[in-house]
Amino acid sequence: MTSLGGPGVACSAMRLRRLDAGELAGDERARVEEHLAGCARCQRTAADLARERAEAARLLPFEAFAAGVAERLARTGAPARRPRWRRAVPLALAAGLAAAVAVPLVSRIAEDRGGDRVKGGAGLTVYVRAGDQVRALAPGDPVPPGAALRVAVEPAGRSHAAVALLDADGPAILYAGPARRGILPGAFEWTGEGDGTLVLVLWDRPVDAAALVRRLGQGGAGAASPGRGAEVVVAPLKRRSP
Amino acid sequence: MARLTLLAGGRAGAIPGPSPRSEPRPAGLLEDLYRRHAPGVLARCRYLLRDDDAARDATQDVFVRALRAGPELQAAASPTAWLLQVATRHCLNRLRAARAAWRGEFERLARDRRERGIEPDARELVRALLGTSPGEAQEIAVLYFVDDLTQAEIAEATGRSLPTVRKRLREFLAAARAALAEAFPGIALPDPEELP
Repeated sequence: MTSLGGPGVACSAMRLRRLDAGELAGDERARVEEHLAGCARCQRTAADLARERAEAARLLPFEAFAAGVAERLARTGAPARRPRWRRAVPLALAAGLAAAVAVPLVSRIAEDRGGDRVKGGAGLTVYVRAGDQVRALAPGDPVPPGAALRVAVEPAGRSHAAVALLDADGPAILYAGPARRGILPGAFEWTGEGDGTLVLVLWDRPVDAAALVRRLGQGGAGAASPGRGAEVVVAPLKRRSP
Repeated sequence: MARLTLLAGGRAGAIPGPSPRSEPRPAGLLEDLYRRHAPGVLARCRYLLRDDDAARDATQDVFVRALRAGPELQAAASPTAWLLQVATRHCLNRLRAARAAWRGEFERLARDRRERGIEPDARELVRALLGTSPGEAQEIAVLYFVDDLTQAEIAEATGRSLPTVRKRLREFLAAARAALAEAFPGIALPDPEELP
């Protein structure tokens, strides 16, 4: 007879999912593992979960997933405004969520904000490519129209970083993830209007990108700090008239 | 993407260090979330939406919601349960907005059984029956019959009282009973008062 299923005395698909995700510990984990070893129904569920993992790798691999999430975050960061960083932000952010590349820095621009410490060495550098020329952007240098930009980070020993652009259109996240010294992956073009600010947040805990967007949107660069012990580096960006 | 060649101070030179493509990828926050939870969320979205493209979109929407609700997710007793609940609600909302053809699926299952003797899979039947019940009862039914949460666990996960959860489950089973009586005579449903 067909049954609709539902929880058994000790059987629970959710419990197996939690086991799979590493959410169970101690006695609870031991109990679930012991039950699983002798329960045909739960073993079938566990096999279903293994199939789900294989299907996810096939249908939505991490790179595609990250790109889609990044695109949505960029789009919904300023819902009522014209999108900017149009050409490259989704890919840059998707890649930035995963990795950074180690290279030496050329120059640093740092500014203390909101009582956050700026330790010696922490900083960010903007590289500009216009035509065949690539150079580090000096403080006060305008960004040429249509130039491809890349950002390099010096985390000064911090374990996590986030980089955001704040301009008249609002904040947008360029990177959030492990802090690694060097150029962030992905070039981008700044397609909005008016001047802007690049904000680097360094912390010893993961920096919540969505919360950073909210803080920047509400309080500007001065509100970038996620909490005690964070370091914030601010680099103003100006545009060169076309 | 091509690597940049720096022209700092008029001196040209290649960036030292490994190329982006050769650099090993560290596990970031998003990658960790993906590894732990994306397969389950994608499976839930495919189960409810029955369309791979729509499921991919919905999965990404769910994780955007999760990233934007960082503290809420971190405070959840079970991030797995939290994400699946968000995914379930998101997909049910999409189905309702699109006026999903629940009836057609139910009729297909009934025809397969009548003409080919194929008994429906329990989860397929639950999905087809979702269209017979009101909104909140749909979500409660998925948590109960698909995720195997007890009524007490559903109450904790949804913030509803236990009597409310029991009432919604009764609504689902009453609607299901009416639908099944016509298309699936002989299928017995549990007594909601005896469900764990």
